[in-house]
Amino acid sequence: MTINATIEIFRCDPGGANGRFETYEVDVHDGATVLDAIEAVWAHHDRSLTFRHACHHASCGSCSVRINGRETLPCIADLGEALRARTPVRVEPLRNLPLAGDLVVDVDGAFERMLASEMTITRTAEDELPLDADGNGGVATRPTRVSDGLLRFNRFENCVECGICISACPTMATDQRFRGPAMLAAIARARAESTEPEVREHLLDLVDGEHGVWRCHSSWECTQRCPQGVMPAESIMQLRRDLVRRRSRRVPR
Amino acid sequence: MTMTDQSARTRIRSAVRWFDTRHRGPETWAYALNRITGLVLVAYLYIHLAVLSLLVRGPASYDTFVDVVRSPVFLSFDLVLIAGWLIHALNGLRLTVIGLGFGVRAQRMMLVGATVTGSVVLVVMGLLLFGG
Amino acid sequence: MGRARVIVIGAGSTGAATAHDLALRGVDVTVVERGEIASGTTGRNHCLLHSGGRYCVTDQEAGTECIDENLVLRRIMPDLLELNDGLFVATNDEELAYMDGFLASCDRCHIPARPLSRREALEAEPFLTPDVLAAVQVPDGVFEPYRFCLAFLATALANGAQIRTFTEVVDLVTSGGSVSGVQVVDRRTGTRSTLGADVVINAGGPWAERLASMASVDVPVAPTPGVMVTVGRRLNNMVINRLNTPSDGDIVVPQRTTSIIGTTSWSVDDPDFIPIPPDHVALLIERGQSLIPAVASTPIRGVMAASRPLISRPGIDARDVSRTFECFDHEPEGMDGFVTISGGKTTTARAMAEKVTDIVCDKLGIDAECRTSEVPLDSYRRFHGRGSAARATAPGSTTLQPMRAP
Repeated sequence: MTINATIEIFRCDPGGANGRFETYEVDVHDGATVLDAIEAVWAHHDRSLTFRHACHHASCGSCSVRINGRETLPCIADLGEALRARTPVRVEPLRNLPLAGDLVVDVDGAFERMLASEMTITRTAEDELPLDADGNGGVATRPTRVSDGLLRFNRFENCVECGICISACPTMATDQRFRGPAMLAAIARARAESTEPEVREHLLDLVDGEHGVWRCHSSWECTQRCPQGVMPAESIMQLRRDLVRRRSRRVPR
Repeated sequence: MTMTDQSARTRIRSAVRWFDTRHRGPETWAYALNRITGLVLVAYLYIHLAVLSLLVRGPASYDTFVDVVRSPVFLSFDLVLIAGWLIHALNGLRLTVIGLGFGVRAQRMMLVGATVTGSVVLVVMGLLLFGG
Repeated sequence: MGRARVIVIGAGSTGAATAHDLALRGVDVTVVERGEIASGTTGRNHCLLHSGGRYCVTDQEAGTECIDENLVLRRIMPDLLELNDGLFVATNDEELAYMDGFLASCDRCHIPARPLSRREALEAEPFLTPDVLAAVQVPDGVFEPYRFCLAFLATALANGAQIRTFTEVVDLVTSGGSVSGVQVVDRRTGTRSTLGADVVINAGGPWAERLASMASVDVPVAPTPGVMVTVGRRLNNMVINRLNTPSDGDIVVPQRTTSIIGTTSWSVDDPDFIPIPPDHVALLIERGQSLIPAVASTPIRGVMAASRPLISRPGIDARDVSRTFECFDHEPEGMDGFVTISGGKTTTARAMAEKVTDIVCDKLGIDAECRTSEVPLDSYRRFHGRGSAARATAPGSTTLQPMRAP
């Protein structure tokens, strides 16, 4: 069984000039994702199409685009569902990041922020299973215990550095110095994982100031669009609480 | 390129994106409306002061003024203004609370509560304005 | 007389590790990749940092190679790995009988292996099938192929390499019996250019044969994809393997908040686009359930497939083809300055890179030792983001550059 899909893809030169939508028709396997359709366009119809992708299972964060107007990871977005929402399916690049041609955006600024956050991409794991980022719910957790006493479980952080939150944030449209939801959420995680007070203080310093947590005006789009349950908006408010607490401690009596 | 390096046209074009609520959640409506009502309320303050300054011209001026402001058209503007104030104040309370890190997980419920409360108060205001 | 110049075609795990090794040895290296980093086979692999347990019984060479490289990767990219070990589980008498031979093979390959009782296995993995009779704990791990490649490439960049993505090789430049460069097109602008080199390394994975034909030499690569199914909950902390000879759907690799069931195997002619056969997906769900019953009630999150770059040998079934790698120096075939590195798996990418870099340095008369098993890799984030090493001290300050205006 195949799906016959019409898909509208944004095309442009590096820098954004000559921006337009081009429509393609592809036949892909049943159960295909939007990324499969994009790849089929490139493989069978238009070899000039440029787009980023690598893991095809939502762990690398490289393929993020907007599908029918919404930031998503196309590698886990069902094509049939996208077609039911809108035909032709519309695919365009992320917002708030410089356009590097077609669906490709320049992620240098985003990665620089993640570097500054000092969040390691691995973290200590919870001592129970299952873990669930989609909020599937409905399964009672069970504890895990390893008998050799030496093995401590770790795991990759939920965040896959996909840039979806950066694109979804309306504030990032006008403040290019804003730390942004990805970096602020990452700093919250880095502080949670760090045992060094000096590091935790430095990271709290980074989120202070007019381009830090105070620049957020609570549109909540980051938490809404995040494919990994990172909840940056909640992290930003938690950091504000930490900052307020720190400031109130410094007030001389 | 920092914000200060951008041309005024770029900044306005970018700012328009604050109000793009397409494919976005209810919190973005609150975000956009808070900005719009903020601008409207500031503009209203100037208009209000300008209008009040006309009253120094004396009683005749005042009577003409009262006739105008009791007209249904003007009362409708008043209602819009009250709506704007309710949106800004109630959402503002929500933002203050969550913005300091309290009750963050309940933020959507607060938004719903603010909308319901605001709607009820607006209806009551409408009745008071147009009833008597 | 400048530094020797080498061009590496392909930025998957092989190309990335090779660029790193070459750069460390002082070679002027440029990587050309037609898409995003790891957008070929490497990106879609099973993410398994092999302990070697899977291969040690039937292929001692592969098993030993795996455990050696496993330990190296733990040293050079410690923050990029989930290190929760793995379990080889016996769920029936046949598998239980396999255990002694398995433990002996692990020992021969110096793979640390610890037998566990049913109770211990279920305590560590509460969602493991209750049919489990016993298990063996081995040092399997989990990586992410994209960041794996970015880490090697970021380090290579810091050591002077150039990495050009969205740059496709359209032809090899040959003069007489020698490759002297590549003709590329920048896919974003359509601009063509020629890049000269002393040696060109073909690390094109399943496309290696297509690339080699541009120099009229043959590389027997058989693209052999396999499907993997990712389910939307992490149901296991450790890698779960079936204690048996390799078969379809016998591994469940956890990652973040998901579990990935794999894999299958079939041959394709065109590795550019691989339609996913639905019966493979169904098979994997069924096989996954037999190891972890809760798979049945967990929604599918993603499905992926990309071609293994197996080196084809006539008359041998794809599963039995060795997963060790091979280096083809094409000089004896009459085409000098051209070397293909193919086969293998991401776990052994660094070893593959060492071998091909040794060959290439020998050709170039470069006398430098391989240090890639000792040198820790830079942060993968430095591939895309330069960032400053210095930590700013004033509150709110940072050397962070503003995002360039869209």
